[in-house]
Amino acid sequence: MRNGDGHLPLRAANVGVSLGGRRVLDGIDLEANPGEVLALLGPNGAGKSTLLKALAGLVPYEGRVDLGDVDLASLSPQKRAQRISYVPQRSLLRSALSVRDVVALGRYAHVGGFGGLSKNDKEAIDHALRTAHADALRERIFTQLSVGEQQRVLLARALASDAPILLLDEPTAALDVGEGMAVLALIRRLAERKHTIIVVLHDLADARSTTDRALLLKEGRVVERGDTNEVVAAEPIRRVYGVRLIENARIGFAPESDPDA
Amino acid sequence: MRLYPLLFSLLLVAGLLAVLVGSGDLSDPELRDTFLKLRGFRLAAAFLAGAALAVGGVVVQGLFRNPLASPSVLGTTAGASFGGQVALLAYGLTGASAGFVVPEMIVPIGCFIGALTALAVLLFFLRITQDLLALLLTGFVLSALFLSLSAFVTSIAQETWELGRAVVSFSLGSVSGTGPRQLAFALPLIGAAIIACWFWGRALDLLLSGEEEAQSMGANVGAVRWWSAIWVSVLVAGAVSVGGNVGFVGLVVPHMLRPFAGTKHRRLIPAAALAGGVFLLACDIIARLVPSRSEMPLGVVTGLIGAPLFLLLLIRLRREHAYA
Repeated sequence: MRNGDGHLPLRAANVGVSLGGRRVLDGIDLEANPGEVLALLGPNGAGKSTLLKALAGLVPYEGRVDLGDVDLASLSPQKRAQRISYVPQRSLLRSALSVRDVVALGRYAHVGGFGGLSKNDKEAIDHALRTAHADALRERIFTQLSVGEQQRVLLARALASDAPILLLDEPTAALDVGEGMAVLALIRRLAERKHTIIVVLHDLADARSTTDRALLLKEGRVVERGDTNEVVAAEPIRRVYGVRLIENARIGFAPESDPDA
Repeated sequence: MRLYPLLFSLLLVAGLLAVLVGSGDLSDPELRDTFLKLRGFRLAAAFLAGAALAVGGVVVQGLFRNPLASPSVLGTTAGASFGGQVALLAYGLTGASAGFVVPEMIVPIGCFIGALTALAVLLFFLRITQDLLALLLTGFVLSALFLSLSAFVTSIAQETWELGRAVVSFSLGSVSGTGPRQLAFALPLIGAAIIACWFWGRALDLLLSGEEEAQSMGANVGAVRWWSAIWVSVLVAGAVSVGGNVGFVGLVVPHMLRPFAGTKHRRLIPAAALAGGVFLLACDIIARLVPSRSEMPLGVVTGLIGAPLFLLLLIRLRREHAYA
């Protein structure tokens, strides 16, 4: 098995972030373990995406983030990318690169700036494309794909790095129901392969169906943490979002192949 | 992979024409050798400058994620030209007595400092904004600033006739008077910088997705930006020191190449070097063929081709909102 080798837990202690003089995050502790999906939940502006970026080392933070026994701040960008893959909500890529070339960029963490792609790198790229069900897209131009297809390719790019920790920023935003379900199913499969996964989600029902534990944020602080079923419950939801949670009120969807449907 | 055979054939044709076309009669056995030698230097200067500017264009377009960027549009060429003039002036006023430095060496150094200064200002401003218009306007302001400073240097240089002539002829820019010593100094600089840019190609590919994504994939974004700026400055300095202020090559050539060579920098950079050389060689031949009392400056030909293309691209981009 390629992906997820290393089984690396992520621990954050007292993490704070200030952006442009404004306190965005304060005193965040969290722990994510291999084989587990941790959800970051909360209303807009709660600091979910900023927290994810801090954990990926993409914004300056105070406090401490450890990947296994290693301090995140002590790692070079390349060493960091070998351990953590960050998947943005949308890529800013506007150039006409093929899907395979985009996924190959994910190998930079191992190849570096100056080398070429080895046989092992090419295998990692092919494996990532298959795992993310993006194999059929490999010759297509990235910018000409649908949002859902692009999301699968970005996931493949992240997987190509063989990093054991995956940070995903609203991977189902702007996807239709079928695309969204496919991405959530993939996240579950990756957790089974012992990836450590932290995911920002907007949809609380998705969080319940896909994630094991959750952190509920409001105004840059953690207001509730625990099993997702306990966090996405009437009381915390009312406190944070100001809405009433009604169990089983939503219509549900399942893939056609699902025998429970 | 038919791109390279095509480019090499074009190079062969352009090279032959560059030797055979121009004022001066090759049938005169006494003058033939001199003419051939001069045209050979001119050919080499045009090819080198074109290669350097085209590769510089590819790199700044990647660096700023903007297909409208090029060394001339961003003010880098104007900065290099100004730096070269200052170097020439300083040499004329003081350095001539130093003995061990020659203008062939000091001009490229001045060009390099000028180009790097211009790019450094841009990189500084681009930390604050990544907007297309902001980039182009900053480039425009830099160009205007360096042009007016150049005018000032030119006026100072008029105090002595010899120095005045040297500064004016340098700022007009031409490959026709390039000598072997200039070429010998520029060739290794440009060659090394093109190879360096090729090596940085993978990191530049990463930057196409923006700084944050590039960093998350393992790129040291700060290092990539500054090293790229240094290589581009070397390229532009080399080009300006052998060919003067020639605009739009770095815009036109990468744009013509992308449909054939794609977007990956390691594929685009060698192709751009070759195509840029051929393009400027062809422009130089056109400049010699246009009937006029004195020869048409090379920058006029590239400008006549480049400016309309720039405007077309601008209109298309604004329509697509891809970079706005």
